[in-house]
Formats: sequence, structure tokens, C-alpha cells
Amino acid sequence: MNKFFNQAEDFVPEMLEGVFLANPDMLTYVPEFNIISRSDRPVKDKVSVIQGSGSGHEPAHIMAVGPGMLDAAVPGGVFAAPPMDSCYECIKRMNSPEGVLVLINNYQGDRMNWDMAVEMAQAEGITVKSFVIDDDVAVQDSSYTTGRRGVAGNFFVIKACGAAAEKGASLSELIELATKVNGQVRSMGVALSSCTPPAKDSPIFEISDGEMEVGVGIHGEPGRRRDSLKSADEILDEMFDAVAGDLPFKKGDRVALMINGLGGTPPSELYVLYRRAAQRCKEAGLTIARNYVGEYCTSLEMAGASLTLLRLDDELEKLLAAPAEIAVRVF
Amino acid sequence: MKEIALTEIEQAVKSIAATALRNEKYFSDLDAAAGDADFGVSLASGFKVIKADWDEFDRSSIGNFLLKISMVITRHVGGCSGPIWGTGFMRAGMLAKDKSTISLSELEQMLSAAIDGIQQRGGAVAGDKTLLDALLPMRDAIKAHAAKADSDPAEVLKEATQVANEAIERTKPWVAKRGRQSFTGERSCGTPDPGIVAIATMMNDICESFGIDASS
Repeated sequence: MNKFFNQAEDFVPEMLEGVFLANPDMLTYVPEFNIISRSDRPVKDKVSVIQGSGSGHEPAHIMAVGPGMLDAAVPGGVFAAPPMDSCYECIKRMNSPEGVLVLINNYQGDRMNWDMAVEMAQAEGITVKSFVIDDDVAVQDSSYTTGRRGVAGNFFVIKACGAAAEKGASLSELIELATKVNGQVRSMGVALSSCTPPAKDSPIFEISDGEMEVGVGIHGEPGRRRDSLKSADEILDEMFDAVAGDLPFKKGDRVALMINGLGGTPPSELYVLYRRAAQRCKEAGLTIARNYVGEYCTSLEMAGASLTLLRLDDELEKLLAAPAEIAVRVF
Repeated sequence: MKEIALTEIEQAVKSIAATALRNEKYFSDLDAAAGDADFGVSLASGFKVIKADWDEFDRSSIGNFLLKISMVITRHVGGCSGPIWGTGFMRAGMLAKDKSTISLSELEQMLSAAIDGIQQRGGAVAGDKTLLDALLPMRDAIKAHAAKADSDPAEVLKEATQVANEAIERTKPWVAKRGRQSFTGERSCGTPDPGIVAIATMMNDICESFGIDASS
């Protein structure tokens, strides 16, 4: 696999340095612990919102740091949970009298390291709580989780909590909000190719031309089944039925719809999927109040896409519409 | 009753590290019987760092020392063993943050806290054929002694070691229900659990480092 990197072990630190160099006025970079944070955070009258998981999912989460989004992120190696001491250091650095909210995608390694870091910080008198996101409807348990996985739906939890925190929400209000968003968001992904971390010389799983993995996880973990490649509409229909049927979403619901690219699928294909998703929403009587088409939570260069639906209410619509700025800009 | 000093805790941890390094291959071979053969390597990779950084650790109290050890273990021991072993040291350390010596009953409370943490982190319970099946009877042995005012820590250590040794044979026929070993189901029957063997080996080596003969 041809890739841009120097030494495999430098891949993550050099990516972080690049993100920092592209946003020197907004971000602070702590190389020792892989931490990227807002330079103007923490502040004493606002809860700090932080997240950390494996690298390889960019822009999640390291590039989601900015006003109205995360205050800091701490990634581990590619597809590896951040080490406990880095998580602990991130909590300490973002410590505010209002508290720290840690958002965790439901993967066993992430949970264990964050749980320990939170415990240690609490023992030092820091007010910190964690919330676990599990929006993936594909499988109940995977090779890396107990229960459902946390995937692209985590974007909505970050966005809502980030906006609410800016408006002065308390830590307990943010936990309540995260619980609401996580309870109303559902996702599922399909992979058309595998991906290769820089430190590995072969793809993390095998998939042939003309095959797809339905319900894939963001580290290439197996999903519901391996199948022969279908048409875009047929694939989208299967994702839509699984996602919409799970909550279930009902006629009259206002929703946010996300078509998330997994890293190796061009925007053109994502909009082919969006077209069908919009048709399906219309047929189902769902109003798409907000839409998101692009890369939010990826698996390196994996070809594929996920569909996420979030049921909205007035509070969530306002929070999603609130201003935000992150490290990735296209204008 | 004689109190246990920081220097003795240090000596025990140093001994544990030496055990992990010396048995890297042995523990991995045990793991290969029913798991993924990385246990010894994972453990050694963390304790190598402990050995290398030995002089740098905070020694302001027993608790602070154990908390630093837990950080290194969590960070450098690979796989799920890192957070699980790290949690054990962390929970024990939290109870002794302001202590330069501990009593036997405080040691028992620290071990109990470590056991609770390990159960919480890994989700295993007694009977799942994990290191808990060595730690739980060890805790009970220490608890029984702690109730008596005149217990000799050396005698307690010896008894806890014998209990750990017994746990290897006692649990051998069991089916592993947690961790990698559990994926192989019935195949884990008849093979000793690497975590239990590691605990017992560490206890024997700690005894030896204190000049205690645990075999009699």
C-alpha cells in the first residue's frame, strides 16, 4: 500500500504536529502526551469537553477540537486506545471548576484507559465524568466491545455537548444531553475495501473486488455479513432499513442525516448515497432538517460509508446550528 | 504487630518485575495452550520499563509509589493485561497515599480494593479461571491473619504463597470464562491459567527475596 509517511512510529506525532502547525493561533500541542487542545482552554466558568480514541479516524477526534466542539483530544496510535497516563494528563490540563466531560466511543481499550484516568483524576479532587457513545446498530458485540460500538454518531454528541458547554451548561446537564443524543442516534457502515496502518505491511482484513462487509466497524472489525457488492441504492436501502428501523424513527420525525465516508470513497459516491437516503426519508415521512455529507469518522483509506440518523427536537436543532470551528477548513 | 514499610513494598515490586522478565517466554508458552500466546511478552514489556525507570519513581509514600507503578504498567503492558494489572496497583495505591508503613489489615484492604478494581475493569468474577482465583483466596488468608494481633508478616506471606500455588492445580480442570482463553472454550480445560501461574510464581519469588521458604 502506497502511503505518505516517514517512519511508522512517527506517523501519529507528525500528523498532530501538522494539525497544530495549520492552526497555530487556535491550538496547543503537547507532544509528550499526544494532546491537542484549544489554546484558550480551560476556563473557569465552562465545562471542558474532551475525547480520545485511536488515531486513523480523522477528522475524529483530533481535528474536531475548536470553539463549539471539543476543548481537547488525545489520540492513541493508529487504531490503538490512548494510554491511560495521556488520558489522565488531558483531564488534568483541561481541569475547570465546572468540571470535565469525557466522551468515549464504546471500545474496550478506550473505556478501560479512560475509566482508570477518570478514577485517578477524581481521587485528586478533579470533577470529571465520562459518557460512553454506542450508536452502531450493526452488531450487539464485536471483537473490541461489549455492547454496541461507538461510530460516526459520536459527532452529534460532540457537536451538541460542545455547543451546550459554550452556552454554560453544567456537567450534569451535559451528561443528560449526551444521554439524549446517544439515545436518539443510530448508525451503520458498509466497507468496500480494507485499510493498512502505516506500521503494518498488509491490510487489516481481506476483502476482494466485488465484495462488501455489511455492518463493518471503524477498525475493520467484522459486521453482519460478507456479501457480493450490490448497487448503491440497494446498499443504502439496507443501511437505511437497519438504522431507521432500530430506534425506530417515525413518520413526522425531524432528523439530521449523515452520510459519512470511511476515508477512501470520493464525495461523488457519497452524494449518490445521499440521493437515495433523501428519497427514503421522504418515503418514510422523515424531514431532513440538517444534512452532513463528507468525512467525519474514518478508517484510514478504507472505501465505504456509514449512514447516521439523529432524531431532532428544538433543543438539538439549535445546538447543531450553533457556530463551531474546527481544525479542518474548506474555505 | 510489625508494620510493613515502603522499602518492603519496593522489594516486593522489584521482585515481581524480575519474575515477569525472567518468565517472559514461559508465561507466553502457557498462554499459547489456549490463548493468543502474548501474555508473557505483554507483561515483560511493562516490567522492563519499571526496571529501567526504577530510580525515578515517587517514593513519598507507599501509595504514591504504587500509583506510579500502576501508570507504567497500564501504559506499557500490552493488551488488556495493562489496564487490569494497572488497576490493581492503582486501587491498592489509592488507599496508601499518605502512608509510609501499613499494617496487615491495611494490606488486606489494599488487596481487596485491587481485587474489586480488577473485577470491575475486566468484568471477571470468582470461578472464571483468571488471576482473581489466586488473589481471592490469598486475600482471605491475609484477612484471617489480620484479625489476629500477633501475626508475623513473614508467616502470612508464606501462607498466601501456598494458597496461590494451590490455586494453579485447583483451577486447572476449569473452563476459562474470561479473556482470550475463553474463546477456546473446552480447550482451556486441563491447562493452567497463565495469570494464576504468574501470581503464584511472583509470590514464590517474593518469599525467596525475603528469605522465606514457602515450600514447607
